[in-house]
Amino acid sequence: MAGNFWQSSHHQQWMLDKQDLIRDRQHDLSKLTDEEYQKIFNFFASIIQVLGEQLKLRQQVIATATVYFKRFYARNSLKCIDPLLLAPTCVFLASKVEEFGVISNSRLITTCQTVIKNKFSYAYGQQEFPYRTNHILECEFYLLENLDCCLIVYQPYRPLLLFVQDIGQDDQLSTYAWRVVNDSLRTDVSLLYPPYQIAIGALHIACVMLGKENLKPWFAELNVDMDKIQEIVRAIINLYEMWKNYDEKKEIQALLGKMPKPSPAPQR
Amino acid sequence: MGDNFQNKTMAPVMMDYEFKIKTQNERSKVEDLFDFEGCKVGRGTYGHVYKGRRKDGSDTKDYALKQIEGTGLSMSACREIALLRELKHPNVINLIRVFLSHTDRKVWLLFDYAEHDLWHIIKFHRAAKANKKSVMVPKGMVKSLLYQILDGIHYLHSNWVLHRDLKPANILVMGEGPERGRVKIADMGFARLFNAPLKPLADLDPVVVTFWYRAPELLLGARHYTKAIDIWAIGCIFAELLTSEPIFHCRQEDIKTSNPYHHDQLDRIFNVMGFPLEKDWEDIRKMPEHATLVKDFKRSNYQNCSLSKYMDRHKIKPDSKAFSLLQRLLLMDPNRRITSEQAMQDPYFSEDPLPTQDVFAGCPIPYPKREFLTDDDQDDKSDSKARQNQQQQPNDRRQNEQTMRLMTQQNQVQANSHDHAANNAKRMRMSGPNQGNNNQGGGQQEFHQQQQMMYGQQQSANQQQQNFQQRF
Ligand SMILES: Nc1ncnc2c1ncn2[C@@H]1O[C@H](COP(=O)(O)OP(=O)(O)OP(=O)(O)O)[C@@H](O)[C@H]1O
Ligand SMILES: [Mg+2]
Repeated sequence: MAGNFWQSSHHQQWMLDKQDLIRDRQHDLSKLTDEEYQKIFNFFASIIQVLGEQLKLRQQVIATATVYFKRFYARNSLKCIDPLLLAPTCVFLASKVEEFGVISNSRLITTCQTVIKNKFSYAYGQQEFPYRTNHILECEFYLLENLDCCLIVYQPYRPLLLFVQDIGQDDQLSTYAWRVVNDSLRTDVSLLYPPYQIAIGALHIACVMLGKENLKPWFAELNVDMDKIQEIVRAIINLYEMWKNYDEKKEIQALLGKMPKPSPAPQR
Repeated sequence: MGDNFQNKTMAPVMMDYEFKIKTQNERSKVEDLFDFEGCKVGRGTYGHVYKGRRKDGSDTKDYALKQIEGTGLSMSACREIALLRELKHPNVINLIRVFLSHTDRKVWLLFDYAEHDLWHIIKFHRAAKANKKSVMVPKGMVKSLLYQILDGIHYLHSNWVLHRDLKPANILVMGEGPERGRVKIADMGFARLFNAPLKPLADLDPVVVTFWYRAPELLLGARHYTKAIDIWAIGCIFAELLTSEPIFHCRQEDIKTSNPYHHDQLDRIFNVMGFPLEKDWEDIRKMPEHATLVKDFKRSNYQNCSLSKYMDRHKIKPDSKAFSLLQRLLLMDPNRRITSEQAMQDPYFSEDPLPTQDVFAGCPIPYPKREFLTDDDQDDKSDSKARQNQQQQPNDRRQNEQTMRLMTQQNQVQANSHDHAANNAKRMRMSGPNQGNNNQGGGQQEFHQQQQMMYGQQQSANQQQQNFQQRF
């Protein structure tokens, strides 16, 4: 579906308004600070990333899974569905939509188990990944409903490559900017801005990091709303600032403890 | 102490109870909103299709409800939903809504109902031909059909979506109503995004396109689906519309292998088209199955075959515009095959009669409505009886002047001897909620149709003008 972002469900239904986003998070933000909330998302984005890598998915698929995850919690509290279940469900759904080929149920569960055990023991200790295929399948229906069946997600990667081509192929620049786009998945920008703007924001940051002054005229000639680009840049830079003084390995257990959790059916 | 999971063996609560109840209450069930019991009209590899009406009577339109085969979200269901959610074009079937039935884990898709499809339309013409009867249809019907198919495919292709399973059964045509006579391309279950193939596509679903509509490069082992493959299938459909015979008809018994190479199908293509010359398809040597081709086939066996001879036998003159467009769609070399856009610019479409938005151009629709299917009906006789009852043969002389025989009677081939395998489900008529709207027979309806015809002709003149304005 390249080529008509403007008619897409992504543009028409899933370009959210910052104020709405803040309002819809009120429940969670009464229990968590903004920063804690972001750290929790950062953590689950890592789980999605590592799961995707273990399953040998392309970055595009991983990014789509991450956006599904963010879209679900943009409309729902963290307590509605355990994010540890929703994260692999997003990966599962995205891999089908992006036609990677079907990941078998058992392979998905096994991968979750090994990933949680080997890579995230700092968060879950000795606890095993607690869900089975039937949980994922049930969760998948809820996810699809909450996404309102909007499954095609436009990502900044393709516009990024086109911009880099336009600038004149520069491998270092494109590698840096690509990584910045990956990092942008840890922020809200994918819910708030069109992917081509995120690509420009990422290029901008990469240029600054690489000290490429000579690209200023290129940016100046772009016909885009530079205020929006600045907002994107700020959101990503804020993430980098946060990372500087943050040790996930030390803090995440406490954060997960504080996180709002699903309540069971009332006992009769 | 983290209250993540306190117990190693007990799963944590995965879903909030309140959330679950709230979503459950908001969710509507397909069977609460629609009446469709006993109204199955289609059965494909990937689902069952029912004709339904809204229970609350908020409108009296017919809807198509497709229940996807199996449970849960298969990859093809995911793709169908993902793509249809985004696609919006008058000639592409419109997905109105998705129902997820949590209890039995069934997925339902709600579409506008299309009364006809090209498989049934062609079958009707073939049956008429066998009975030496003619069917009255507007002169430009085939042209209008082709134009709209190209329009829909052009839209898909420009959105980087390939259909990959184009065949007459998947080309629907709207019946009476506001979209009368409009083509709707359906069955996107296999449609894929193809701008960045992740895996060689042939690996995912070994056998996909019905062999009769399969492009030669696929039969020679091409690893990737392309726009050109859809164009070949459109060429096949065009030829079939012109002659009522599947142009590359081939015995179906052998079609079970997952090997793309299919000797009999290639043989059939060469028998119609002639064996490709090196200069006509330079890259044929690069095809994975080229060696097999060289081993199995002798050019000299196809010395006297050509598309123009084949079409001439079916009364399509080699100097006609229709033939010249057909030839451009059915080029063996995929790189030379024209695009949908080029095809829409072909002089065929600016020659009189111009294509109309209503492919029936306001004339009465001679084709029967869809019949309801049963799973256990083993007897095909009910099929032909029901059909005979429904056939309406317009026999007004003036009408004859306005219309043309789609079918030529001279070319009697054993009609019905080669129904498409995928579509010979047993049919019988049953009563359903829409019964009252089905053929009532009697004079009233004919009268009604006469009126429609007069009106239709005016309308079609207007439409043609409109078309003209739009395109020039
Ligand atoms: N919108 C519709 N309105 C009326 N009939 C329809 C509609 N969609 C599908 N049908 C009927 O149901 C049949 C099967 O539908 P469809 O082609 O979508 O399913 P499928 O299982 O994917 O088929 P296939 O075997 O061709 O892959 C069609 O050939 C057609 O006769
Ligand atoms: Mg079909």
